Amino acid sequence: MSEEVKNPNYWKSLGELARNEEYEKYVEREFPENATELNDKVSRRSFLRVMGASIALAGFAACRRPVQKIVPFSKQPEDLVEGVPQYYASASPFQDAVTGIVVENNSGRPTKIEGNEMHPASSGNTSIFGQAEILNMYDPDRSRYVRKNGERSSVSAFAKFCSDHFSNTDQNIAFVSEANSSPTYNRLKDQAMDQFSNAQWITYEPFGEDNALEGTNIAFGERLRTYNKYDEADVIVSFDDDFLNPAADKNSVENTKRFTDRRRVMSEDDDMSRFYAVESTFSITGSNADNRLRIKSGEIELFIYALAAELSNSVSGLSAFSGYSNKFSDHEWVSVLTEELLDNRGDSILTVGRDHKPELHATVAAINVALGNDGQAVDYLEVPHADNQNNREAFAGLAEDLNNDNVDTVVLVGANPAFTAPADLNFEEALSNARQVIHLSNYYDETSKLANWHLNRAHFLEAWGDGYSYSGTRSIIQPQIEPLYSGISEIEFLNIILNGEQTKGYDIVQDTWQDYYTNDFTSQWNKALHDGLAGEETFSVASVSISSAFNSQASDFISNADPSEGMELVIRPDSTVFDGRFANNGWLQEQPKPMTKITWDNVALMSKKTADELGVKEAGLGKAEVEVISITVDGTTLEIPAWVQPGHADDSITITVGYGREGVGRVANKTGVDTYPLRTTDNMHFASNVSVEKTGKTYEIASTQDHNTMEGRSLLRHATLQEYRENPNFSTYESAYDAEMPGVAYAEEHGEDDPLSIFNPIDEQEYPEDEPQWGMSIDLNTCTGCGVCTIACTAENNIPVVGKREVSRGREMHWIRNDRYFDGDVNDPKALHQPVPCMHCELAPCEQVCPVAATTHSDDGMNQMTYNRCIGTRYCANNCPYKVRRFNFFNYTKEFLTGGDDPEIVQMAMNPEVTVRFRGVMEKCTYCVQRVNRAKINRSIDTNGETKKPKDGAVETACQQACPADAIYFGDLTDPESEVVKTKKNNRNYLLLEELNTRPRTSYLAKVRNPNPKLA
Amino acid sequence: MSTDYQYVPEPALVKGDHSFGSITDLIAKTPLSPTPKLWYLAFGLANILLITLLGAIGYLIWDGIGIWGLNNPAGWGWAIINFVWWVGIGHAGTLISAILFLFRQGWRTAINRFAEAMTIFAVMCAGIFPAIHVGRIWVIYWVFPIPNQMAAWPNFSSPLLWDVFAVSTYFTVSLLFWYVGLIPDFATLRDKTKSKVAKITYGIASLGWTGSFRNWWNYEKAYMILAGLATPLVLSVHTIVSFDFAVSVIPGWHSTIFPPYFVAGAIYSGFAMVLTLMLIARKIYGLEDIMNIDIMEKMNLVMMITGNLVAFAYLMEGFIAWYSGYIYEQGIFWLYVVGPYAWGFWILMFCNVVTPQFLWFKKIRRNVAITFVISIIVNIGMWFERFMISVASLSTDFMPSAWDYYSPTFWDIITYIGTFGLFFTFFLLFLRFMPMVAIAEVKGVMPQADPHNYDEETNEFDIEKTKPVVVQQEQTV
Repeated sequence: MSEEVKNPNYWKSLGELARNEEYEKYVEREFPENATELNDKVSRRSFLRVMGASIALAGFAACRRPVQKIVPFSKQPEDLVEGVPQYYASASPFQDAVTGIVVENNSGRPTKIEGNEMHPASSGNTSIFGQAEILNMYDPDRSRYVRKNGERSSVSAFAKFCSDHFSNTDQNIAFVSEANSSPTYNRLKDQAMDQFSNAQWITYEPFGEDNALEGTNIAFGERLRTYNKYDEADVIVSFDDDFLNPAADKNSVENTKRFTDRRRVMSEDDDMSRFYAVESTFSITGSNADNRLRIKSGEIELFIYALAAELSNSVSGLSAFSGYSNKFSDHEWVSVLTEELLDNRGDSILTVGRDHKPELHATVAAINVALGNDGQAVDYLEVPHADNQNNREAFAGLAEDLNNDNVDTVVLVGANPAFTAPADLNFEEALSNARQVIHLSNYYDETSKLANWHLNRAHFLEAWGDGYSYSGTRSIIQPQIEPLYSGISEIEFLNIILNGEQTKGYDIVQDTWQDYYTNDFTSQWNKALHDGLAGEETFSVASVSISSAFNSQASDFISNADPSEGMELVIRPDSTVFDGRFANNGWLQEQPKPMTKITWDNVALMSKKTADELGVKEAGLGKAEVEVISITVDGTTLEIPAWVQPGHADDSITITVGYGREGVGRVANKTGVDTYPLRTTDNMHFASNVSVEKTGKTYEIASTQDHNTMEGRSLLRHATLQEYRENPNFSTYESAYDAEMPGVAYAEEHGEDDPLSIFNPIDEQEYPEDEPQWGMSIDLNTCTGCGVCTIACTAENNIPVVGKREVSRGREMHWIRNDRYFDGDVNDPKALHQPVPCMHCELAPCEQVCPVAATTHSDDGMNQMTYNRCIGTRYCANNCPYKVRRFNFFNYTKEFLTGGDDPEIVQMAMNPEVTVRFRGVMEKCTYCVQRVNRAKINRSIDTNGETKKPKDGAVETACQQACPADAIYFGDLTDPESEVVKTKKNNRNYLLLEELNTRPRTSYLAKVRNPNPKLA
Repeated sequence: MSTDYQYVPEPALVKGDHSFGSITDLIAKTPLSPTPKLWYLAFGLANILLITLLGAIGYLIWDGIGIWGLNNPAGWGWAIINFVWWVGIGHAGTLISAILFLFRQGWRTAINRFAEAMTIFAVMCAGIFPAIHVGRIWVIYWVFPIPNQMAAWPNFSSPLLWDVFAVSTYFTVSLLFWYVGLIPDFATLRDKTKSKVAKITYGIASLGWTGSFRNWWNYEKAYMILAGLATPLVLSVHTIVSFDFAVSVIPGWHSTIFPPYFVAGAIYSGFAMVLTLMLIARKIYGLEDIMNIDIMEKMNLVMMITGNLVAFAYLMEGFIAWYSGYIYEQGIFWLYVVGPYAWGFWILMFCNVVTPQFLWFKKIRRNVAITFVISIIVNIGMWFERFMISVASLSTDFMPSAWDYYSPTFWDIITYIGTFGLFFTFFLLFLRFMPMVAIAEVKGVMPQADPHNYDEETNEFDIEKTKPVVVQQEQTV
């Protein structure tokens, strides 16, 4: 676009803008040229375009304000102060659930996603996927233009094609779409089904809710969504359900919040829920269990039936199970659980993993109802957009139709079945039988390459949309920036197909919402935009009863119960790249998997015993090369590195999908192993009798934690609730080591308050009265180990992605790491999680040894790192007992931010308030000093300079803000009423490596478990 | 049992029937004769390694410290190991020339020049590492207290800063000491050379030495003062190097035994390196009469003593780990023994604890071949000692979650090997152009330097006159 002032166009909405010629040209052009303009810092023109677009789109007042494109703001827009970020509410969709978010915008660039405190699915927090969406949007590898048979085309050409092609409404059309809760989307879906007489619509998710819905259909005769309110249960029993993991549960943030709320123990008088986990893979959810039983996933079925049978003696509604017995009937867990569940009728939750058979979901739902948990801790929700078909069967049917040449047009709205579809369907080949394949996707991916038309999709931060949260809160998705690559959203895409013309998403969404707000539309719409949600309204709770059909069906599936013999294979979505859709996200690739701490790869997990039987050796310190095994399922063989996961069920192997992609993007390509070929319609999630062999090959795995035990050091202190009540001071040094802390006796003898140190700067360093003194405490009891703190910190503090090679050399840059220790028997250990940021020691060993005084103490008690002064001796990192300092061994930031052909794009994701660090300097957690200082300045302005101590809660660190477990407290230690001071006064508070007398400002609240003594 | 005390005369320090003149000729022969072909070969090889070093440093500065195998727990690796190793080697020279001078150990004269040269070149090799191991070498001058507009000052409580001063002072004093000792010998070469260029060069280097009484008087005083100055430095430099570790909090580093232990280890490795070089040089340059077996045995004795001191320090580390009850110290000692770097520990034990025990035997002490092998083993052992301290302690310290394994890269290894290029380039230049034995000093310990034994009438050496003399006469050269 020219920079000249020529025929200034006034436009109200992007819809209007889209219709002018100039915009058409802009759409036609590739990004790099724009990027060059953006790179020009003083170009008013480019600045205003981005600015103007975001204001026009993002602010609710802005929709009405005409934005002149050329002239700078002659009238400063309300609330816009350069350098002060703006926050807009939106919603982040993941499958068919949205989470309320608030997006930080800096100069028109969205830079950080936070949770929306008003939104029930978020409560102000996010999951790792939620945090990573920023980088997804600024991914330079996203598809940038429309392709027709691989050749570059345009949206308008596609619209022309559609108006022609879809005029034939009798053709056989198959719509394949991702799960989507958007009311607008579902309105268009209904319209499509009306418009095309021979259309079928399949919601295809490789890891979806289908089985759970099918389960409630069996149990209640209705497809209902199970909504567990973990804070309302005294007893929780999970069967292979990883409900705290965002990859396994789309409502993980709310689940974590609710789960940990009920487990927050602030004094020995507090109560907590008891959580039993029965699972094969050691999941993060399982690691938070009070009692955990590891059995094969294939045996979960038997276990549930045995439990149902035991319960059927005491509760009604489970008559189909009475008298049934199997190998688990005499299991001590069955009797203990029965007793516990009967004691807590109405206050318990039983939940089964999403991927398990519908029959199990039905049984568990029936047990919940029989125990009276429905309407209490468990709700069954009527989801309006849930399909009334078994989508998995429908998808298999589509493949058959395609093979029989019965499909004219396939429209794929998102989804990547060429990569993710069950291998036996041979979907890639089937798709070639369709006459027209149209695919909307973020990347020019495996499926796009088979399509006649590929449409590049707009990210949700770029386009208008809407959606329901898991429990049914409706939100509007408002864009934060003009689409970087001129992509179109799924609703715009469907609209083109249905109407043959381009309409802006904004208008389409408004059309839908006209139905919700029949009067006073504008103000209600604006309120929903502003709040990020439309009121308290949720999906209606169905009143359920066990259907009469259930008991007759139950006796069938009991008798068909598969005893699960031989070696079992469990196929799960990956905890960082999910089904592969996040494979090109560097933050997520580098995010250590919560339980294995592996980055950049997927592995086959197995127990120590199974590994010993297979002759597979354990990885460990100095042994990054692991053995590769081959897994054969129904004649398909796959080679994958093996990884010993203590606590995994024996004779069971877990693999994750989503890796091994080709031709998608720089990050995703050739990373890990594609395990989808092992997945067939019969073995979607589990396969039994698989054969496993050692190949003799080795493969290097980049793990961020090589040693998994605490070596008897009391770094992560924990006790059972009973022990805590008996000894409320169990977390002190004296209790932990049964010895007095060294130096204390000497200090007392010499009349000193604290143990001696040869360096005693604290005596010289008086902290100024008018300064706040920052401190942090981390509640290990609520921390689930999900790792969102790490990725939130990465996003906030411009931490570069360093790649697998560097991680494998132990050079990951994360400022807050999540330590995971195993405790106890190697085959059945307990896992403990401990986030470790900089401790901000008052007597910091790092400060003492720096030859150039590049790391010093601030007046507000923070250990600061002056990048400009650092010469990079690394002495500080060596002398840090907590090993939280990170060194820029290479110019990581430069590589991260200027790599590829479009360096400006990733740079746009950076937080302008945080310096990017260059090669050769040390860095570490700053307690988010940029947030602290902004709060101090604001407080100083607000009080006319009287004080600069922000009010409690005015500063939240990025890790604290993202944490769905609210495990991190941060605040001013000079304020006796602050939350952080209260937690530090808690009797569970302890300092890490206290005996070193470093006097850390970060402390921990020891972990408390509530195991059933009968299972001890 | 009657005891018969007998005066045992110390064997002559210079073997062979040498006169002052023949000694001068023997030593001055090398710098004054044409360059042998073998020297060119050796010098060429050294130059190749030196260029390799420069290339490795260039690439390091270009690409970053990441080309080395360092990681998050192990912020120091081969660079610091090599630094300490070379500094340790650099200990022998000044110890031999200064401390042994003050203790009037005449046998030092055979090797002092040689050892001092080695010291200076070893310290040069050592000095490279702290400089290049920093992340941003272009601002390394910030470690010096240079007044500047940023009002930024170094942090005087950092042992790394102490290091800067300790090593630079040590280098300066060693260089001066070496040079002062060289002045009379440069004059000798100036007087003997036929080449004009050499005459001018040696002439300038000899600072107008005339051999006058006044020259000798000033020389002796200066040498004495420098020896006095250098003596504490011998102890201080490695003490301060040990502070880099001892002052930290890291288990395996934080130890009060480090200063004496490091000094003993440094002398141990320094003597080993002098022996390695000496045993080659004496053969090639035919200096067996001066650098003779008696000298070698004395050096072996020093090695035996310091080696056992070092071994004792290892034992003490284990004992203190147990006795202190400090779990992290116990942890690191146990990890040394059985942990991921146990192989390094056992190499170290063999080299530094087992090997010096052979030196209890006189036959071994006087065996050139075995001594040569032992001297090399000792230096390998001392390298592994620093490896264990630097890498093993850092890799496996307080928090097991942060433990990681360190392994060097190609660039670590090539940089280390490259420093031998630097060392031998200078050392070969030294051998070629400078008197490798202190001519003036070695004459001072010859029997001829005790003129009362000399029958001036017959102009013959009379062994019968070996009796205490009444009148001390001035030495002449």
